[in-house]
Amino acid sequence: MCSPVQRTVFHLDMDAFFVSVEELFDPSLRGKAVVVGGRPNERGVCAAASYEARKFGVHSAMPLRTAYKLCPHAIFVDGHPERYREYSGKVFKILRNFTPQVEMASIDEAYLEMTGTERLHGPPLLAAHHLSRAIKSGTQLNCSIGIASSRLVAKVASDQAKPHGILWVMSGQESRFLAPLEVRKIPGIGRVMEENLHALGIRYVGDLARLQPEFLEEKFGQWGLAMAGKAQGLDAGGWFDEAIGSHEDPKSISHEHTYSEDTKDGQQLEATLARLSEMVGRRLREHQLHAQTVQLKLRYSDFSTITRAHTLPTRTQLDNDIFEQVRTLFRKNWDSHRTVRLLGVHVSSMDENEGQLGLLDDEKHRKWKDALTTADRLRDKFGENAVSLASGMRARYRERTHENPASLPGKSKKTED
Amino acid sequence: MEITVSKFDLLKELTATQGVVERKTTIPILSHFLFEAADDKLSITATDLDLGLRTSCPAKVKKEGACTIPARKLYDYVKLLPDGDISIKALENHWVNIRSGRSNTKMVGMARSNFPALPVFPTAGVIKIPAAVLRTMIAKTIFAISSEESRYTLNGALMVLKPESITMVATDGHRLAHIEKAHEAFPDVSDMRTLVPKKAMAELNTLLNSTEADVVEFAKDESTLFFRIGGRVLTSRQLTGQFPNFEAVLPRDNNKFVTVRCEDISSAIQRVAQFADERSGAIKLKLDKGGITVSSSSAETGESEDQIEATYAADPVVIGFNSQYLLDFLKAATGGEVRFEFKDAQSAGQLRPEGNGDAEFKYRYIVMPMRI
Repeated sequence: MCSPVQRTVFHLDMDAFFVSVEELFDPSLRGKAVVVGGRPNERGVCAAASYEARKFGVHSAMPLRTAYKLCPHAIFVDGHPERYREYSGKVFKILRNFTPQVEMASIDEAYLEMTGTERLHGPPLLAAHHLSRAIKSGTQLNCSIGIASSRLVAKVASDQAKPHGILWVMSGQESRFLAPLEVRKIPGIGRVMEENLHALGIRYVGDLARLQPEFLEEKFGQWGLAMAGKAQGLDAGGWFDEAIGSHEDPKSISHEHTYSEDTKDGQQLEATLARLSEMVGRRLREHQLHAQTVQLKLRYSDFSTITRAHTLPTRTQLDNDIFEQVRTLFRKNWDSHRTVRLLGVHVSSMDENEGQLGLLDDEKHRKWKDALTTADRLRDKFGENAVSLASGMRARYRERTHENPASLPGKSKKTED
Repeated sequence: MEITVSKFDLLKELTATQGVVERKTTIPILSHFLFEAADDKLSITATDLDLGLRTSCPAKVKKEGACTIPARKLYDYVKLLPDGDISIKALENHWVNIRSGRSNTKMVGMARSNFPALPVFPTAGVIKIPAAVLRTMIAKTIFAISSEESRYTLNGALMVLKPESITMVATDGHRLAHIEKAHEAFPDVSDMRTLVPKKAMAELNTLLNSTEADVVEFAKDESTLFFRIGGRVLTSRQLTGQFPNFEAVLPRDNNKFVTVRCEDISSAIQRVAQFADERSGAIKLKLDKGGITVSSSSAETGESEDQIEATYAADPVVIGFNSQYLLDFLKAATGGEVRFEFKDAQSAGQLRPEGNGDAEFKYRYIVMPMRI
């Protein structure tokens, strides 16, 4: 009998990814407070902030206007999703050369299953060192790497290692490593859960680890149980359960747009829906899925929000089918006297198989499919605005900088070369 | 207005008109019958604006006139009255008095002027269609009409009248039912294409099943279709728009055939479909030299298989179908043998009754496969 193989997981996280990529294109940004995401007077949020800007309290997902108040001297730059995609792709290729089991968790972070690679790459720290150097020489970008026996601890470790560091949490040391950290550091514990835990006098992971799982379950249900496991450094609950590189199909796909100025211009609104439908269709094709239910989300200026859904007779992955349906829902439900703040297109009831085939529009359907597949390839190469439905032209707003874009390498089912 | 009618006569006509009375109460007058008395006759009219039905029964008219009466209430009440004569009398303020034996009721109606005017049956261009033919054609196509509002031209069946034939076609975009009857005589038409809305088809079906009339008189103007069956006239708003070019999708090169007893395949599919994915009803048909294997599987309920012996000589093939689509046809085909004609797993299959049965009718059903 041999003892069970010790699992080794790397979590690699690019340091200030969006900002670092911008610095490559404009070296004058280096060492300065930089905010990526848009102009300081625009509606919208920071996609990323440089370490210098973070010193002033700026962080990603913060409204741009707030960031400006905190750090008025920061340089605000527009995001360039196509650049980030390109660099994310470079990172992915390097990782894939390193080990076959790679999962991009978002555009700038990845998990690597490194169990049993010692004979190839040497001990974990050395392997991580080589990987970090390979990333640097291949992209000129810095990354941080966490090494542990679970995805969870590896992720927390890479965060602690930042910037440009490597941290190995040896097996058996997980609880000791996590104990002094604030509960917020555990992935999956957000602001709301943090407040709940604080209310119970739980501030550090160590406090959490000392509690009976039953107590947490009683307080927070399944999540409580998962947290109890996480506090011990286990991959418990949610997305941490799967093997690295295994794909679970999404249950739904959606895209939303918030106007920088609220509008009741029907044409503009429908153009936005066309654009959003395209983005949703693209994600569907990327995942090789077909959806049957289409939902419209509509938020008026006063924040009152409606959602309306319709189930199609057959599944689709075509932009025009989604758009036609969502436009019908919009025309039926929009009160045209009221200005709109946000629109969203959401699809669900998805399946890999197309299901029922059409009798009447077979030819048309095939043509659309071919056209859209070509369009996708153009977008992969030239960015999301390269091609669009004519009705969506008016809504060619700047592509938002997004941590989970449609064409994330290593996430989609398409095999990468 | 003041009349006397027999309960039997009145109830028969009230029953026939129930399908046309508006159920929703958004426009109150549409949930009323219009009663008009003249010439020893009581005329009863109901409409939901899409459909209108006008019928009549014999009555002793003491005083001619008209009134409106809440339809559902009247129907429920008349059903409960003992057999015998019922007298109906319009009172002031649109009240209506209904007496029968010792029963005495006053109902609140609405002003007669509120009742929408129904189009009048044209005097020219009337075509006579045998009631039995129309009844068969409706029964064999109505289930394939789409209920999906987004493609409204599919919300009806296409009726094509030629000098010597009548054809009816219905499709929902996934399957298509097509039936043709030759050796008919419609001398005054050349090639008359009419879209009959699903609601009108359903109502016609009901009327045809409760009549002894042999002939349906059909006519149309720019906006309305008219069907006269015995003493009843059904009017329907016309569906405008282009019915898809169905001839283009009729399969021409299906080269894989198998013939089975309708009953056998129908019960096999019903059994197997119990274990199909609930939402899609997907099943697989496998054709090889052993015959037909029907199978299904779903993550929730398990899997199932049924085999039917049959002669099949072509290359083996496996095709997915929505079980309901197949069952719809097999139910409409009413017994005998059916012939399945396929090409491959992506192309339309054709089903039709084999041999006799309704030999005068040429009936076929086209159904697209599912990818499962």
